Amino acid sequence: MSEVVLHCEKITQRFSGLIAVSDVTMDIYQNEIVGVIGPNGAGKTTLFNDITGIYRPTEGTVTFAGEDITGLAPHKITAKGMTRTFQNIRLFDNMMVLDNVLVGLHSANKASIVESMLRLPRDRREEKESLRRAEEVLELTGLYEYRYNYANSLPYGLQRRLEIARALASRPKLILLDEPAAGMNEQETSELLVFIQQLKKMGNTIILIEHDMRLVMNLCDRIYVLDHGMLIANGTPDEVRSNPQVITAYLGEEV
Amino acid sequence: MFRKAINFWAKHQILITAIFFAVVLVYPLVLESYYLRNVAIQCLLYSILSLALNLIMGYTGIVVLGMAAFYGIGAYSLAILTTKAGFSFLPALVCSVIITFIAGALLALPTLRIQGNYLAIVTLGFCEIMRIVELNWVSLTNGPFGIKQIPAPSLFGFTLSQPVQKYYLAVVLLAIVVLLMHNVINSRSGRAWKSIKSDPIAAQAMGINVFRYKVFAFAICAAIAGLAGVYYASYIGYVDSTTFNYNQSIQILSMTIMGGLGSIPGSIFGAIFFVILPEFLRWLGTFCGEWIVEWRQILYGLILVLMIMFKSDGILGGFDLRQIHLYNRLQEKNAAAEEGQKK
Repeated sequence: MSEVVLHCEKITQRFSGLIAVSDVTMDIYQNEIVGVIGPNGAGKTTLFNDITGIYRPTEGTVTFAGEDITGLAPHKITAKGMTRTFQNIRLFDNMMVLDNVLVGLHSANKASIVESMLRLPRDRREEKESLRRAEEVLELTGLYEYRYNYANSLPYGLQRRLEIARALASRPKLILLDEPAAGMNEQETSELLVFIQQLKKMGNTIILIEHDMRLVMNLCDRIYVLDHGMLIANGTPDEVRSNPQVITAYLGEEV
Repeated sequence: MFRKAINFWAKHQILITAIFFAVVLVYPLVLESYYLRNVAIQCLLYSILSLALNLIMGYTGIVVLGMAAFYGIGAYSLAILTTKAGFSFLPALVCSVIITFIAGALLALPTLRIQGNYLAIVTLGFCEIMRIVELNWVSLTNGPFGIKQIPAPSLFGFTLSQPVQKYYLAVVLLAIVVLLMHNVINSRSGRAWKSIKSDPIAAQAMGINVFRYKVFAFAICAAIAGLAGVYYASYIGYVDSTTFNYNQSIQILSMTIMGGLGSIPGSIFGAIFFVILPEFLRWLGTFCGEWIVEWRQILYGLILVLMIMFKSDGILGGFDLRQIHLYNRLQEKNAAAEEGQKK
């Protein structure tokens, strides 16, 4: 089996009395698409927040590319090569599409404020390099013709796509997508499916939270199922689909 | 109509900037009136202050109501360094800017933990505290007497004692500030600031150290305001605490907001507008009676109300000339390509 990119060891997240995530252990391997599914309130987004450093897990450790990142600040985790998108789109509305992607390249560059003020060689070199990379990513995601539009002027489906483009720009080792198909129509969802498959072919490793079962089942190599913060199943789409516990969690118990 | 003018401006940005600075350079040679030159110096000085505030408010999204504090720290630093410590102008300028930079960072470190309106009020309080310190630390600041006989600016042995020379010093300082700000806002750091204003959580998820960038925005804003203070002190030759009060902060705030948040020409426009307006009314008063001068405050109020009703982000706010230029050029190119296909 290929290399482990992300390893979560017994992650628990408590909010005073509420246990949002309980004892979750998972492994993500290189170039996999892993789905995290579960009913509403199962703790999927909390788990994402624990992994990306927005929350600090109450217990357990997160190991990313062989390094313990538990409790690191989010920007430091991003700098190590893990990026994410958000359930409710969080673009920089009043910036150009191109600038949104360039912000995604922030952690790939080093020029300081003074270097930028004086346009010193390192700043110029990095700007040129970033622009090239940003345009490459925009072309890849089909957003190139919109590069000078404001982000909030894009139609919904393209805004989702831009969020992924922004996360993709810095060539991360792992991308976390939080409900990328939320609010999309059938057409947009199928386009997204093709797009994410394309990302996998390019060698990306992806975790996604999703409610759209058709998308998850078609896309994912493996699926983790959460219910009430606990991991109730994991395996290939076929295994998960036929798991009685999963069926109970989603459809309720037989009366 | 307005939109067309903006499009034209976006297309010929370099030319229009060049024309602006050309006019600024020729101005004192054509108009030799002491009074008009003085008004122009005020315009340049407030442009620097307004730009400083725009950096933190327009680009980073932090409301600062105490700009006069940093303005004052810069002015007092220069005054003390030149009159009491025997520094010459240039080293004193550099030290004063560094002092205000540090003051800005020191204020930012604890206060950035609070947000929005509360932070704005803290900066307001800081401004008042600084004024009281300046008034009461008699051994350092001479208290209510202020510091007199601050030497005129001198560069490499030349003393700039003539008003024209001081005017050109202000032009040079403004040009430097505009250039540095223009460079930084279209760079990695500038984009980081803009993204923090737009969505701090997403900015953090992009690997931006939000707190650090906010502290630097604060400190750089303070340093630029300090530079304006340095100029003010050496230009007037006298500082006292009444100059750096709450009204001064609000004056700068009005300029930045009226001119346009997140726009460099906007800040300059706002500064010029608010410096010239009372002078213009005074001039008008010589024709139609003094009453118009007394109605000044009401006119201010009216302008602000109209602004808030019709364009709350300022005259030039929301117009990113670079974006408009790139966007229009792309549209034109596409249109031309389509035209070509038809043929």
